[in-house]
Amino acid sequence: MTHKSSGPTTRGKGMERSPARRRGLRHHARTTAPRLGRFAVEHLLLLPLGALIALTWVNIAPESYFTFTFAISFAVNDVAMTIFFALMTKEIVEATVPGGVLHTWRRVMLPVIASVAMSVVTAVIYVRVVAALDEPVLSLGWPVTLATDLTFTYFIGRIIFRSHPMIPFLLLVGIAADACGFLMLGLFSPAGDVHLWGGAIILAGAIGIAAALRWRRVRSFWPYLLGAGSASWLGFFWSGLHPALALVPIIPFLPHARRDPGFFIDARPEARDALSQFEIWWKYPAQVTLLFFGLVNAGVPIGALEPGTWGLPIAVILGKPLGLLLGVGLAVLAGFHLPHRVGWKDLIVAGLIAAIGFSIGLFFSTALLAPGQLHSETSMGAVLSLVGAPLAVVAAMILRVGRFSEGADVSR
Amino acid sequence: MEKVRTAFPFELVIMLGDNVYGGQEAADLVKKFQQPYSPLLAAGVTFHASLGNHDQPNNVSYKPFNMNGARYYSFARKNVRFFALDTTQMDAKQVAWIDAALQDAKEDWKVCYFHHPLYSNARRHGSSVDLRVILEPIFVKHAVNVVFSGHDHVYERLKPQKGISYFVSGAAGQLRRGNMRPTEQTAAAFDQDQSFMVVEILRDEMHFRAISRAGKTVDAGVIHRQARIGSAGQAAENLPALARR
Repeated sequence: MTHKSSGPTTRGKGMERSPARRRGLRHHARTTAPRLGRFAVEHLLLLPLGALIALTWVNIAPESYFTFTFAISFAVNDVAMTIFFALMTKEIVEATVPGGVLHTWRRVMLPVIASVAMSVVTAVIYVRVVAALDEPVLSLGWPVTLATDLTFTYFIGRIIFRSHPMIPFLLLVGIAADACGFLMLGLFSPAGDVHLWGGAIILAGAIGIAAALRWRRVRSFWPYLLGAGSASWLGFFWSGLHPALALVPIIPFLPHARRDPGFFIDARPEARDALSQFEIWWKYPAQVTLLFFGLVNAGVPIGALEPGTWGLPIAVILGKPLGLLLGVGLAVLAGFHLPHRVGWKDLIVAGLIAAIGFSIGLFFSTALLAPGQLHSETSMGAVLSLVGAPLAVVAAMILRVGRFSEGADVSR
Repeated sequence: MEKVRTAFPFELVIMLGDNVYGGQEAADLVKKFQQPYSPLLAAGVTFHASLGNHDQPNNVSYKPFNMNGARYYSFARKNVRFFALDTTQMDAKQVAWIDAALQDAKEDWKVCYFHHPLYSNARRHGSSVDLRVILEPIFVKHAVNVVFSGHDHVYERLKPQKGISYFVSGAAGQLRRGNMRPTEQTAAAFDQDQSFMVVEILRDEMHFRAISRAGKTVDAGVIHRQARIGSAGQAAENLPALARR
């Protein structure tokens, strides 16, 4: 951590009230704000809207809420959410090609080490905090603390850091933390009947279908989705793993662009590759799915909450910045290098952004925990982790990080 | 409880969760459970616990709780079968288990007990409606007679709901004074002192009493067992009648 925390430094203090500064602000308002605004509308708002509807409905008419949501939860959580995770996988697959944040393993190692440390520290703090809050049973939900909502991370990260190198670093940390979470889900998820070998055979067949389609250069995404995807879903379901992840091993086989267009950059309408076509076709249905996902999983009666509910937000707000600093420190000691212009102040703010578990946290909570108070409190904790967003902005202001750094170029 | 037992020698205790607060290491359990209940334990009274949200999950293996390592289990005494559930996590396996266990029960009385109340009119928590949507159809299908719960730190007896008698008895360990907001569902309630219940089942009658810490009877009555249904899914022939003494 040898680099000083600062944003782009192309302008000095003396320029702050200059005409150039004002022009920069106007240009910024015309370009960046609408772009992020459109991103918010297209990627962010429907899930919180669904959560808001759920919280209102469940606290006014709980019987009708639970009757309705229990009836559709399988269709939403186990079937429709496959599309959401497929689109997240698409972002990651594209990030592995030249120009992507995951291209070359050396670039990935430091965030992975940092992320593992962040996850361990956060989980340990969580277990201690819920015990101190006299609800030790909540410790069963510790994998939920690993969740990082990549969409919110990207959105808040862009607001604070704009195009700073911290953005790809932050996304890598988030991806690695979520990967740890999914791994823990696979190990600790109380799935019904587990038929690992049977499921593995079906899954191998699904991957074989996807590989054959790719070998035959099939350019439409439909055979991948309906043939390989359906078989994969059966394999996941049969094995006892969460079937919402069924398309994760299939998506990498879809023909994709040679270069990464960038994280959360929408595919161009004229793009002909299967992966881009998949995104164009499913982008909006996935958002509708997220609306229902929020509706089905965020409905927590206020009466079900106890002090232990605060365990999760407290653990992620304390644990993620602390763990990230610790992990980066260890990685730097081991000889890895931080990206240029990333310093310890940036890492604290990044940790607070990574504390936002929201959508992935709700998914982990639902996948891991059965209905009851444990699920209610943990899910509400995942919703409350959204507090990481305003805290990150406040921390960035106090620590003068990103757009709040001295001499930051507002036009970027 | 010890004093009550001199007049009414009960032989088993069912525990409705949140059995121990704070530290739950071995020494804590001795201090918070074995010592205070030592006269009852010495007299051969057996305790059968269900766990609440403040209990350590590994307390299922604490010998005096007689859970034998299981989060949910069943046992019988004479013509009564008890079903202890873990409502902190109502997973599909447990739901399938209670459905099958109730189906297989041959005893006259079916008594379920667990921590979170399906019906409660206390202000702090109230009814656990998510659990009610899952469990109530099963209880009705198999003609469960009585359900005991805790969680809300008050005493409440509810009017029979779909033929089942519900009690909230959550004020034995802690009291939330003045927390009741009785509704038309409430048959009786008490929220001014800590309380516990004593119950005796004689053939087709269940006699119950709620007793305050000061030893005052705050509610009492008899529940008449509903006639046994022939097969799952049929409505009970007689709904339980509840009478106050």
